[in-house]
Amino acid sequence: MTVQAEAAADAPLDLRGDELLVVENLKKHFPITRGIMFQKQIASVRAVDGVTFSVREGETLGVVGESGCGKSTMARCILKLLEPTGGSIKFRGHDITRLSRTEMRPFRREMMMIFQDPYASLNPRKRVGFIVAEALQVHKLGTEAEIKRRVQELLQVVGLNPEHYNRFPHEFSGGQRQRIGVARALAVNPKLIVCDEPVSALDVSVQAQILNLLKDLQRDFGLTYVFIAHDLNVVRHISDRVMVMYLGQIVEQADRTGLYTEPKHPYTGALLSAVPVPDPAVGRNRKRLVLEGDVPSPINPPSACRFHPRCPRFVEGHCDVEEPALIRRGSAPNHVAKCHYPLERWPMSEDEMRRVGAASRAAASTASAS
Amino acid sequence: MPLLEVNDLKTYFRTDDGVVRAVDGVSFTVDKGQTLGIVGESGSGKSVTCLTIMGLNNRRAASSSGQALWKGEDLLTASSRRLRELRGHEIAMIFQDPMTSLNPVHKIGDQLAEAMRLHDDVSKATARARALELLKAVGIPRAERRLDDYPHQFSGGMRQRVMIAMALINNPDLLIADEPTTALDVTTQAQILALIERLQEEFGSAVIMITHDLGVVAEIADDVVVMYAAEIAEKAPVDEIFKRPHHPYTWGLMGSLPRLDADVDRLVQIQGQPPSLLRPPSGCRFHPRCPYVMPVCREQDPELLQVPDVPGHFQACHLDEETKNREAAKLLAGMMAEAS
Repeated sequence: MTVQAEAAADAPLDLRGDELLVVENLKKHFPITRGIMFQKQIASVRAVDGVTFSVREGETLGVVGESGCGKSTMARCILKLLEPTGGSIKFRGHDITRLSRTEMRPFRREMMMIFQDPYASLNPRKRVGFIVAEALQVHKLGTEAEIKRRVQELLQVVGLNPEHYNRFPHEFSGGQRQRIGVARALAVNPKLIVCDEPVSALDVSVQAQILNLLKDLQRDFGLTYVFIAHDLNVVRHISDRVMVMYLGQIVEQADRTGLYTEPKHPYTGALLSAVPVPDPAVGRNRKRLVLEGDVPSPINPPSACRFHPRCPRFVEGHCDVEEPALIRRGSAPNHVAKCHYPLERWPMSEDEMRRVGAASRAAASTASAS
Repeated sequence: MPLLEVNDLKTYFRTDDGVVRAVDGVSFTVDKGQTLGIVGESGSGKSVTCLTIMGLNNRRAASSSGQALWKGEDLLTASSRRLRELRGHEIAMIFQDPMTSLNPVHKIGDQLAEAMRLHDDVSKATARARALELLKAVGIPRAERRLDDYPHQFSGGMRQRVMIAMALINNPDLLIADEPTTALDVTTQAQILALIERLQEEFGSAVIMITHDLGVVAEIADDVVVMYAAEIAEKAPVDEIFKRPHHPYTWGLMGSLPRLDADVDRLVQIQGQPPSLLRPPSGCRFHPRCPYVMPVCREQDPELLQVPDVPGHFQACHLDEETKNREAAKLLAGMMAEAS
């Protein structure tokens, strides 16, 4: 039974020693309770359920997935904004999983976050200068005058007018507010910045400005990004490696080119084929693979492979019984996918995708009949 | 006669700060069965154009001029009563946000049936049967049971389907979809686009698709209108606009898209922010952000003129034809080179 031997364990992390962040088997379960006096846990939302990955210094790891797949919860766990239920997070070799708030403090200035909604993530009653300076003041980095100079320098770096120091957030447009968010994240010279959908609320022209800015800053300051987005085009543009999440788990992870040119997991294939192509000649003749239904509930995820109820390659009696392991599937050594029947080539039409499932199903039924 | 003919449509809003010219001289036509894509950034007047056509602007604050001829009848001068007859019956609209456009305290089935019973004198049972039929058509599983569910029991994609079902319940001749997929995941977006295309084939409705996603436009539109700061910058058949874009703003939009099929180190970005419509820039409204700006652009507002020898392709830019062809070719060649 080679299949079962394969399914025994996920491929181990291939560590090179220059990893800034190593996350192993990270879990975050939110309890669902009933009762007022004696709250009894009746179930849990398994938002992140066993995620293992690493991020090297200076690289950008893209994270994609549909809403509800646990990408944002994962991001908040990495920064310890949420207490993980299980697993470990190592930052620069230090295990920060169980650190208390005070113990976390020295690490806080090395890991920052940029949020999705530039309208909600800035305090409307504080001036821009204060918003950007706050982290510097909290960590006591410099005198009042030094901090002010630093803030003006930061505003300049992100392409804002330093004289706008005393303005309020409402005086800025969406793109400019996101620049303020970037300046705030940069203030304390962090090593790692987690960007949670930083451009999805912006118009395309402004989105390009922010993406270019993030790339420039990475080059100038040697930043490391974990970049979360649901837009595959954006993730491809900015990432070195990409990881695809589905229902709290990683289903595929590879170098950017590997993932986009030879996706192995049917879910990645479905995501890629769902992206509209801005070229009528290509777009019209292309057959979209349309996934049926919505992401199932993480309270009670499907058995074995969590993608099986929506998968075009679903093989009864295998995919819904035995959970596939995240193992090497692509041509590159670091290309891993969590699927029993990975895609043989790409692009693939919906019919071709289904054929494998049908063939294996037929084989399985004849085997059981004989 | 086209189904809808919009001529020199203008909508101004009076505000405390002055007059906002939200739509400033927009003209286009939509034929039966045709899909028109309207592209532009937030605040370019896409949505207000459609709201004006539907007569959904606040009549006290907004003043409109021009014409919106629906089968020859001007919608701008039509009575509220006549508009109510047309809305949801011959012209239907899908709004951007499926979370807020359904009434949270009524069952889905009742809301759908109401949309039908407003226009046709049919029994409750007939309306309910039709509601069920539509829910099935838009691909909602176990539709019989879901008729009695409330909006909060549906996910975002499902709610958007319910909105589409409601818009289609009276077989409208024109469906106006205002960013119907913007709030959704790519997979759900693909489902919704496939659904709109299928229903269009089935019922032969015309569609106006408002979006900021050029990808969506390329996939489903026949004609494209690019709007910038309340005006039309460029208007052309979809193949033409992607093959020979003529306006620097269109170039900017195309260049700023990160694409799956092309590796680019830096995206072409359009400098600056969209202008305020309270005090739009002089001359060509795009000139403060345009890399090709010439003195004439600051003084004279370019007219929307037909591209020589290309019927149906209109553009509003002072640059000469030669430069435009050269720059457009350069942009597209750049994209191709990166794609290969």
